[in-house]
Amino acid sequence: MTRTLSWFFSMLALAAMLLLLGIFAWQSIPVWQHDGTRYLTGVKWFFRSREFGALPMIYGSLVVSFIALIVAAPLGFGAAICTAEYLPRPARLAVKVLIELLAGVPSVVYGLLGILLLRDWIYDVFARFEPLNGDTLLTAGILLAVMVLPTLVTLGDDALRGVPAAQRRAARALGLTRAETLISVTLPQAARGFGSALLLGFGRTLGETIAVFLVVGRQDNNLPEHWLSVNKWLESGQTITSKLGSSETNIAYGDPLHWAAIAGLGLILLAMTGAAAFLGTSFGKRSDA
Amino acid sequence: MKPLAISLAALLVLTAQICAETLRINGSTTVNLPVAESAEILRAEQKMDIQVDTQGGSSGGISMLGDGLVQIGMSSKPVSAEDRAKYPSVQFNEVHVGEDAVALIVSKDVWDGGVRSLTKQQLKEIYEGRITNWKELGGKPQRIAFFNKEPGRGTWEVFVHWVYGSPAAAPKVSFPEVGGNEETRNKVASTRGALSQLSSSWADGKKVFALALKGDDGVPVAPITENIATRKYPLSRPLFLLTKGEPQGAVKVFVDFLLSERGQDLVKKHGYLRLKDLVK
Amino acid sequence: MRKATDIAVAAVAGLCALIAVGILVGLVSVIARRGGPALSWGFLTEQIRLVGASGGIFWNLVGTLILLATAFTACAPPAIAIALVERVWLQNERGRRALRTFLYTANGVPSIVFGLFGFILFVQWCGWGKSWLAGGLVLAMTMLPTVTVSLIERLKTIPPAYIQAAAALGLSRSKIIWAVLLPQSWGGLLTGSLLALARAAGETAPVMFTATIFAGATLPRGIKESPVLSLPYHIFILAQDSFDPEVGSKLWGAALVLLALVFVLSLIALPMRLKIHEEANL
Repeated sequence: MTRTLSWFFSMLALAAMLLLLGIFAWQSIPVWQHDGTRYLTGVKWFFRSREFGALPMIYGSLVVSFIALIVAAPLGFGAAICTAEYLPRPARLAVKVLIELLAGVPSVVYGLLGILLLRDWIYDVFARFEPLNGDTLLTAGILLAVMVLPTLVTLGDDALRGVPAAQRRAARALGLTRAETLISVTLPQAARGFGSALLLGFGRTLGETIAVFLVVGRQDNNLPEHWLSVNKWLESGQTITSKLGSSETNIAYGDPLHWAAIAGLGLILLAMTGAAAFLGTSFGKRSDA
Repeated sequence: MKPLAISLAALLVLTAQICAETLRINGSTTVNLPVAESAEILRAEQKMDIQVDTQGGSSGGISMLGDGLVQIGMSSKPVSAEDRAKYPSVQFNEVHVGEDAVALIVSKDVWDGGVRSLTKQQLKEIYEGRITNWKELGGKPQRIAFFNKEPGRGTWEVFVHWVYGSPAAAPKVSFPEVGGNEETRNKVASTRGALSQLSSSWADGKKVFALALKGDDGVPVAPITENIATRKYPLSRPLFLLTKGEPQGAVKVFVDFLLSERGQDLVKKHGYLRLKDLVK
Repeated sequence: MRKATDIAVAAVAGLCALIAVGILVGLVSVIARRGGPALSWGFLTEQIRLVGASGGIFWNLVGTLILLATAFTACAPPAIAIALVERVWLQNERGRRALRTFLYTANGVPSIVFGLFGFILFVQWCGWGKSWLAGGLVLAMTMLPTVTVSLIERLKTIPPAYIQAAAALGLSRSKIIWAVLLPQSWGGLLTGSLLALARAAGETAPVMFTATIFAGATLPRGIKESPVLSLPYHIFILAQDSFDPEVGSKLWGAALVLLALVFVLSLIALPMRLKIHEEANL
């Protein structure tokens, strides 16, 4: 009985997840039929004239996540080095508690702070680049950096503490300083864990919705000439999630093609975050929920 | 298994019956203000059960009424032929409850820079990206930061209706989008060179300023009460409660309340024109 | 030179940690300063009036609690079941690894995707409309991986001697589960759940299309068309659509209450969680 129940509920959970994947795949069929792979590579999204190109939103999602990691990685891993290598146990625990709390701050609260503080700050600080307004990809990226920071600290700390203490002691006994031990012994061994943390953090930032929605500006079709150019970073953009959270989701339901385009965005997002989570966990040894 | 199924079915039937008493309303955030306050009064005085939501703006109100998810839709635009075609079995009934104007609002620096009015042609060129700086419109040199209302908002539809004749004729452009009224006001107020469409009642004249619109005769018309009442201001729009067919039961009670003296005072309180203010 | 580098590295690392903690302190103080004035007993016990400009957030708080209770109830059975399958019933390593990969991948699914899934499945196909149950089930899905992993970690820390002793007594595996494993692992279930609930409490994206409306909902009656109010959605709407300066302070007050709720849930779970976490890393 216990066994049956265990398997039953496990299968139920598995079925729900498969159903989720299936629904998004199935609901998006019309847009694939309508546009084929041009749905992925198309650069124009005008639903009134039934043009559905997802590329600008894929670009937006990738850019804000990229900015978030660039900003958060040094800070997060630095803090992880501090907690794992330098702080005595009580202080370490205190910092970890605070980082856990930071991880719990709701997305909508970040969004509120983004509207109140970050938007104007970006607008003023970067004034000489003459941004049209404060709602930019950069604003969303920096807000996401703060949001993903706890993930990087926690996973980075885990990676460092996964390196056996005996190796550190051996290195110190050879006369290496703490910094040298860290750089030549500990960090190389924790590198995989750091990489995994980055991938998992990347998945987080890709999927974040509400905070991004409130500060990204929600401008469609804003693609740069070149993927690597940064001149769009100070302009408004659209991410996959900000589109999914917008009024279009309400408008689209009932119109098979438009709805398929929305569901297709969900599918793309699932594929991207799924890949990040899968690679992240198989890359590193363990991850934490 | 079978008794379970039966009791489950019974439960569903029961739920459906109880829920029939709940009046659900959804739609335009502009219409929401007097409606939400009316709902509070009716809840307190008549013990009515009323739920109000603003998902998807006017279009959300129309589609949710069409889908049967709500009994009253709120809309700041008329139900289009397209909407009616999408829900052929639904008899949309528009109840006119007040009048509002869509103002073109600008930030303080633009206003102080001397731009006080625009023509339809100028708006068109801004919207199509041919005019991008206020100095081309007699203001100080500053790029125009245009915020477009997101799709589905009545405000946007009224705007393109005036400029282009219909939403379908509007050119395909992409600007940063804004949704709610406060979001719009907030962003325009804090951005240099900002321009957006917003319900005129929200243009406070302190942080955001409503431009006058120039007709063919070149006379600027500001979105003030008398110009809206006489429809001299071109971007005025009716505010509607939408019902399926003639209002009945709880729907009728609600509609009647908003049309009553007290309801109309709420319309006025939130900055819109009452029906009796309109010059017929 | 070497000594200088040594100090510099320590200083930079310390500074990073300080910034991270500083962000939290700054963030809390901003919200407390803005939201503090709105707080009063009435704010917690009255319902919204004048479209958020007056009254309190009573039904928003109740709605959030209803969603959390539903999510917990729906999440616990599968979480226990999956943890047992991973620890007890699956004997081959490959199956276990597949299961863990499934959990981690599920954990990476963005909450907006769960929200849209719930919208299609419950709101539209089941015809529930916006319903507390739809929202609760969707939140349960977002919580499941966290709770399950926490439970698995807890099960791992049960000394093998307990299980061997029980097996030596001739207990079957199901008996061992009920007599040893489950009683020993409530802590894991609870800490995992509290943490996941803390996260779920602040989620807007999963419930905005499935469960919550702006005003007028009280206690749900039945399943169909029974939305609730919630704190995060309230903040989300008011952030875009407040018409009255009075709303401002109420808005921050609501954010402060939500933050407090989330912090309390995480803090209750924390001692036990840190213990498990540290042990797992030894």
